[in-house]
Amino acid sequence: MEQKWSYLVEEYRTMLYRIAFSNMKNPADAEDAVQEAFLRYMKEEKPIQNKEHEKAWLIRTTIHICLDILKSGWYQRTVPWNESFENAAKNIYLPYQVRDDETLEAVLRLPVHYRNAIYLFYYEDYSIHEIAGILNEKEGTIKTRLRRGREEVKKILTEGRP
Amino acid sequence: MGIQEVQNQSGRQTYQKKKKTGSAEGFQESLLQNLKYRDQEKQAVTAAEAEAKQGVTDSQIGVKAKAEKVGIGRIGAVPGIRMNAAAAQETLQAVEVRHMSYEDSDHVRIAVTEGYTLKGKREGGAEARVYVEAKYEDGRQEAYQVEMAKVSGQTEHVIERFALETMQEGEETYDFR
Repeated sequence: MEQKWSYLVEEYRTMLYRIAFSNMKNPADAEDAVQEAFLRYMKEEKPIQNKEHEKAWLIRTTIHICLDILKSGWYQRTVPWNESFENAAKNIYLPYQVRDDETLEAVLRLPVHYRNAIYLFYYEDYSIHEIAGILNEKEGTIKTRLRRGREEVKKILTEGRP
Repeated sequence: MGIQEVQNQSGRQTYQKKKKTGSAEGFQESLLQNLKYRDQEKQAVTAAEAEAKQGVTDSQIGVKAKAEKVGIGRIGAVPGIRMNAAAAQETLQAVEVRHMSYEDSDHVRIAVTEGYTLKGKREGGAEARVYVEAKYEDGRQEAYQVEMAKVSGQTEHVIERFALETMQEGEETYDFR
């Protein structure tokens, strides 16, 4: 059993951390969110059907935990001392080297519904069908978010505001 | 004595005859029209079925023929990617999408503002080829095999340019826009 958990953590930890970081924009909160997601998975009573389902479940839960933290009264009354979009883009630790931090910074500035769709599609290389499954939305909704999100990124890059 | 008896002694109502004649003619006319339309519909259905069968045959022929028909032409409609389809057909061959990951790619371009991603991998020893996978914002995914021997160094074509970059880059590189 212990082996199963360690395999699970090894397999998804980094990817979930990146997704949590894109939402929380600071390492400590991102780590908390990922840890909570793994704990919820361990407590989950319904069997997870397959690997794809397992992955989608973990991503969806991580995003929900992040959104819950962001919405919480405590979080809204506090300001992390090291939070900035520039720092966030530099500290996201993608599995590849980012040449252009500006676009990633702009993506991190997007409203949450655009940000998650854009981040999963471009930076984690998920298909629209997979993102729709992860975020529990229709494929058409994801396509719209991608298109509108791209327009917002352009606005941020040219005008400096979303 | 009623009104009818005064006007028509035979007791026959004139309007009945008139109505019946007109109605029969109208019915005959509409029946003929319906038969004509039904024949036309049948012909249309047969034509559509034949077209669908032809489509299945096309897909069985292979991805290459299909790509020549639609795939390459469509890429020109995507923002940021402009190409000369005629020139590209000589160097590009549409192939099946392998769903290659970023980690497996030699070169990656993430163009968020233009709505697409490209992944490239060097292939083939002596005959240098590059496999390029494109993913678009509208969900389409296309893959091409680029014959590097035929690609001009001065090409402006996005896929060819990207294939050249993939060949030139000595190590895994990622280009974000």
